[in-house]
Amino acid sequence: MKKRTWNSYILCICMVGLGCTQEQKDYSAIDLTTSWAEMALYITQFTPANSPTFASRCLGYIGLTMYESVVHGYESHNSLAGQVNGLATLPLPNPDEAYSWELALNSGQAFILDSIYVQTSDENKAKIDSLENVFYRYYSQKIKDQERIDRSVAFGKEIAKAIFQWSKTDGGHRGYLRNFDKDLVHPERPGSWKPPLYAQSFSHHPLHPHWGENRTFVAINGEIPTPEMIPFDTTAGSPYYQQFYEVYQKEQELTQQEKETAIWWSDDPDDTFTPPGHSYYLATIGLEMENASLIQSAETYARVGMAVADAFIMCWKWKYHHFSERPNTFVPRFIDQSWESFWPDPPFPSFPSGHAIQAAAAAVVLTDLMGAPFAFIDSAHVGRERDELRETDFVERSFGSFWEVATETADSRFLGGIHTHQDNQVGLDEGSRIARNVNSLKWRN
Amino acid sequence: MKNAEGNPIFMKNLWMVEYCLPDRYLIPLYLLFLFPCTLIGQTPFTEITAQAGIDHQFIVYEGMFGGGICVFDLNKDGFEDLFLTSGMNEDVLYLNQGDGTFKNIYEGSGLEETRKYVTQGVSGADVNRDGWVDLFITTITTKDSTQKIPRSPNLLFLNQGNNTFLDVSQQFGLADLPSFSTGANFGDINADGYPDLYVGNYFRNYEGDLTYINDQTIVNANQISQDFLFLNKKGKSFQDVFESYGLDYKGYSFGGIFTDFDNDGDLDLFVNHDFGYKATPNFLLENLYPQKKFKDISEEMELDLKINSMGTAVGDFDNNGFLDYYLTNIRFNAFMEHQGPGKPFVDRIVDYGMDFFTISWGANFADFDHDGDLDLFVANGDLNPNDHPMGDFYFENTERGYVEKANEMGLKDYGIGRGSVVFDMENDGDLDILVINQKAVMEYGPSTVTRLYRNDSTKGNWLKVDLTGTQSEMNGLGSRIEVVVGKRKMIREIDGGGSSHLSQNSTIAHFGVGEVDMVDSVIVKWIGRDSQVLTDQLVNQRIEVVEPEGHSQNMSIDKLWPFLGGIGMVWVVYFLFIRRKTIRE
Repeated sequence: MKKRTWNSYILCICMVGLGCTQEQKDYSAIDLTTSWAEMALYITQFTPANSPTFASRCLGYIGLTMYESVVHGYESHNSLAGQVNGLATLPLPNPDEAYSWELALNSGQAFILDSIYVQTSDENKAKIDSLENVFYRYYSQKIKDQERIDRSVAFGKEIAKAIFQWSKTDGGHRGYLRNFDKDLVHPERPGSWKPPLYAQSFSHHPLHPHWGENRTFVAINGEIPTPEMIPFDTTAGSPYYQQFYEVYQKEQELTQQEKETAIWWSDDPDDTFTPPGHSYYLATIGLEMENASLIQSAETYARVGMAVADAFIMCWKWKYHHFSERPNTFVPRFIDQSWESFWPDPPFPSFPSGHAIQAAAAAVVLTDLMGAPFAFIDSAHVGRERDELRETDFVERSFGSFWEVATETADSRFLGGIHTHQDNQVGLDEGSRIARNVNSLKWRN
Repeated sequence: MKNAEGNPIFMKNLWMVEYCLPDRYLIPLYLLFLFPCTLIGQTPFTEITAQAGIDHQFIVYEGMFGGGICVFDLNKDGFEDLFLTSGMNEDVLYLNQGDGTFKNIYEGSGLEETRKYVTQGVSGADVNRDGWVDLFITTITTKDSTQKIPRSPNLLFLNQGNNTFLDVSQQFGLADLPSFSTGANFGDINADGYPDLYVGNYFRNYEGDLTYINDQTIVNANQISQDFLFLNKKGKSFQDVFESYGLDYKGYSFGGIFTDFDNDGDLDLFVNHDFGYKATPNFLLENLYPQKKFKDISEEMELDLKINSMGTAVGDFDNNGFLDYYLTNIRFNAFMEHQGPGKPFVDRIVDYGMDFFTISWGANFADFDHDGDLDLFVANGDLNPNDHPMGDFYFENTERGYVEKANEMGLKDYGIGRGSVVFDMENDGDLDILVINQKAVMEYGPSTVTRLYRNDSTKGNWLKVDLTGTQSEMNGLGSRIEVVVGKRKMIREIDGGGSSHLSQNSTIAHFGVGEVDMVDSVIVKWIGRDSQVLTDQLVNQRIEVVEPEGHSQNMSIDKLWPFLGGIGMVWVVYFLFIRRKTIRE
């Protein structure tokens, strides 16, 4: 089993950077693809106004760009042009010319990251450039055919440019500028969401209220019917009340291990690569363990990226349809006034859980690609400072399958006291459905 | 909240009753609450906002914060005047006309520059030692702001002594420090007689300007910032010494207070942080004067609270000689009781049965009923926009502990409360209350305007002490006043601002003394200087205490004890010697 920490990622990128001045290192396909995935997550984490919604969207386009920049090198695989929602065509390579698909991937990733994270710092942009340069030098030295090199780089860029152009019309373009809609009228009804008092964010308005109107990558994902909620009822013992009572009860008896689970998956956008970033990171773990090929890696990142992006769109659509309250609203009002959740509330409605839906989407995709039993260790947050307020450390997690990750991610929100079981269960169910729709695109011949 | 069987208890207080009811029941319910006060009309406090000529409402900028009040004697006529920030509305400068009414003289006062800004908090001190109280006003952005990032310079106005002010923000180096600032507090941290200034920032500029953060993303970026610690350079300029004084934290600051928590005669610093559980907790910083350093002792004193700390009331509620701190918060406030020298503070909010669910901002300790102990007023209000009405609190300090009596006192206002202050508006000896309310962003039932309450309740006697520093800060900001009546010793600390929420109470110390006609002693402990003792003072008067000339620096009474003790010992030995001699003879 292989372990990698987030810090080692950054270290790794730096080492790649050093490679250009020191003795030439040999890079394999897996180094190329995972380095770009790591860079995508680094930029996600260290670009201000970060949100899980916007991050999921970026990962969708970044993954798809990776796939489309190499797919024509493999007869086994199909382009998604004409398959994904509103993307009729994409530039095609010249069938009579030879390409370096590694160089195409390299320039495509740099271009899409630079474009979709246009708001990131100059410092971060320099990091993207330097990674691109490292791989450019490495692969062009191997090829030594300048025309082929230029052709490949240009093709990767063209693909990225076309995908970026298409992305502008999905409703989420530069969504970080509209994180909160100050004119939003909050629906007032029994059980409706209230701005949190124990909050992760100082906004009184919920995050990205119109995100659910965005275009999904897979058209049929946009047509999934709205899942139903248990009807509001304050009667003690009623199914609705019970949902919250279970959260309340659990919070009184959290074990240390459960606290570790709760904080591990919090993936707060202010401090981390966000929950969809965590899913993208799990793809990297799997690919490295399998020492995956170029196309295999590209397909994996594309599927995971698109699945989490669609999951967030649908989740947000349903969140704002129901505009439902969190336990921190219901419990103090109807169960115990002094109660407070273990983890603070994020600034958006409850049902269904965004964590659960995207975790399930990623798990179903990764299971389809890598198989149901898949043992690995997740060390994403190892080395982070202990959470002093909650007296809990970040302790690595081991899993026997990707689905175990999904259920633990969902449970972690229950343990954190910010989601009920129904939020999580519906999230898991719908996330799976969304991922199955991604899986059923014609990826391969 | 649970009962002995572990079952949840509902509806602990009035607010909770409302909270459990559907909204359509709420309005009649307010009327129900209002009737006892309005119909009977005999409550100890009387709301006199309109008749006193007060017409004010704070208008909030994009769901943000504010505002604050500064109580100060603008023209030295003995009647305390008021400056109120108004956010998006126009600020007001209320001249106390001495007849129970105020007149807004903002127009023509030289303060009109504040019109350009969304103002937040305000504090007053004689910055240039010319005998007149100057005003420091915090801002969060400009009103007509086309800029995407809310930030703007804070403002300093020098009082010209003729009811006008001069804007000296530029000269004092403030123009180049755009920030999103909240509270500000004055205190003479180096005991040079010039009040220094601490300014709490919620956001600020970012290192390297916009190279690290491009685009209009800063507000959403949750980028916490450092505060300002301005050393007053002989009344001519400010110098930010935040880092050189050993401060290195960033947070969502609501500003702080200068307070001598350890009774060592210098001003320590307590800082309130919003989102303490996520970003940065509160800080208690011990002044190591005469070293130019603050030492972080938040953890050992257990004041590193990880809450949404909105403001502070300062007072020795149990008259044990040590200051206690009541901190406002979202949901439950914190009553931090001083346990004695070197011991950590303990939160007594549950023990004292004061754990009422609400959202609090302003808070003021004062002896409203002149019985010799400190009562507590708390201004409550929902986040705006949210706009669920929350009534203010009045906790009377009784033999049974604190009892919430806002309703029967005539103080249960459901406006969206923020900063609150206490002062004696008509110089009748008791303390009145002024509370800022915000205009509701959303639809809101009860009226929500700034309210003035006249204290008509008191029966007991009182004493007020007004300080004039000659070498110490001109108004004795931060100085300690002790009044001894028999076995009871009451202490007050002169408010340097940043207290309550973004506000500053009267700087005239007020004591309730019950039935006694004379207090045994009044001890004034000037910051960083000697103490001054006045004995046998008649009650029901305002004593003006002027610091003696040639008052030595650095000799606090604490440091004199060994010396006094030595003299005492010599005297006792001499007395015994004489006595023995007498007996022999």
